[in-house]
Amino acid sequence: MKEKKTEPRIFTIADWEKEERYLRKRHQEGWKFLKVSLPGFYHFEKCAPEDMVYQLDYNEEGLKHKDEYVQMFKDCGWEYLQDFGGYSYFRKPVSEMQGEEEIFCDDESRLDMMRRVFAGRYLPILVILMLLILPNLIAQFHSSDADAPILAALFLILLAIYAWAAVSFGYRYWKLKKRLEK
Amino acid sequence: MDAHIRKVYAPMTETGFYILLCFREESHGYNVIRKVKELTDGEIRLGPGTMYGTLSKMEKDGLIRFVREEEKRKIYCITDLGREVLDLEMKRIERLYRNMMEAR
Repeated sequence: MKEKKTEPRIFTIADWEKEERYLRKRHQEGWKFLKVSLPGFYHFEKCAPEDMVYQLDYNEEGLKHKDEYVQMFKDCGWEYLQDFGGYSYFRKPVSEMQGEEEIFCDDESRLDMMRRVFAGRYLPILVILMLLILPNLIAQFHSSDADAPILAALFLILLAIYAWAAVSFGYRYWKLKKRLEK
Repeated sequence: MDAHIRKVYAPMTETGFYILLCFREESHGYNVIRKVKELTDGEIRLGPGTMYGTLSKMEKDGLIRFVREEEKRKIYCITDLGREVLDLEMKRIERLYRNMMEAR
């Protein structure tokens, strides 16, 4: 029986690069990624340390046509691991690469992926924000209930988290776009 | 050719150009990746994420069309609109090349 461990980690929707680096670092330390499960448990198994590149793609089209989607990555030497929250997880050992390889080879397609994440993940969040959090927040401010301040504080925290996620995503999109325009 | 196509594909990215160029013959995505690598002496190595995204986009925009599936690999071919876009891009690159040679 191989030694196993589980680590809780939360990566926001726009943090896929951080997540890729995290998984790569664990593999270099001799912990092979097995799977991620809700709400954010990363399962690992002891292995020989290896430099393994992990990559996340967000492609709803690909999820709909799983067979040929996975085949394309397989042909290029990427092992398919799982889907989680709309993202697909892949890995490839550096020893099988010529130089540093990524699943995206130009900024244009990186930007396309960000657009897909935005349409698939951010727009729904913004709608929830508008329909759920804001009206509730305003209602709590006008309420004279004893627990209104607590609820208002909770909704404010939620609002801050959502706003932070939206702003950080917007900033990264803008940076990439700037780089592309040069 | 409508405004959307013009906006997205004129001019094209280098990877987009090579991909469309390769679909003048029926081919599947991985085959195109290999061909582009060969054509550019290994300089351009298309990633599967880039390739898959480009295929969906070009198919949706009507530049290539799905022909059939072989062993889980979709085979595509260029359409008339795709040829039109490619011709336009070739003319642009020709002009670029001409002007570059004059400047030398």
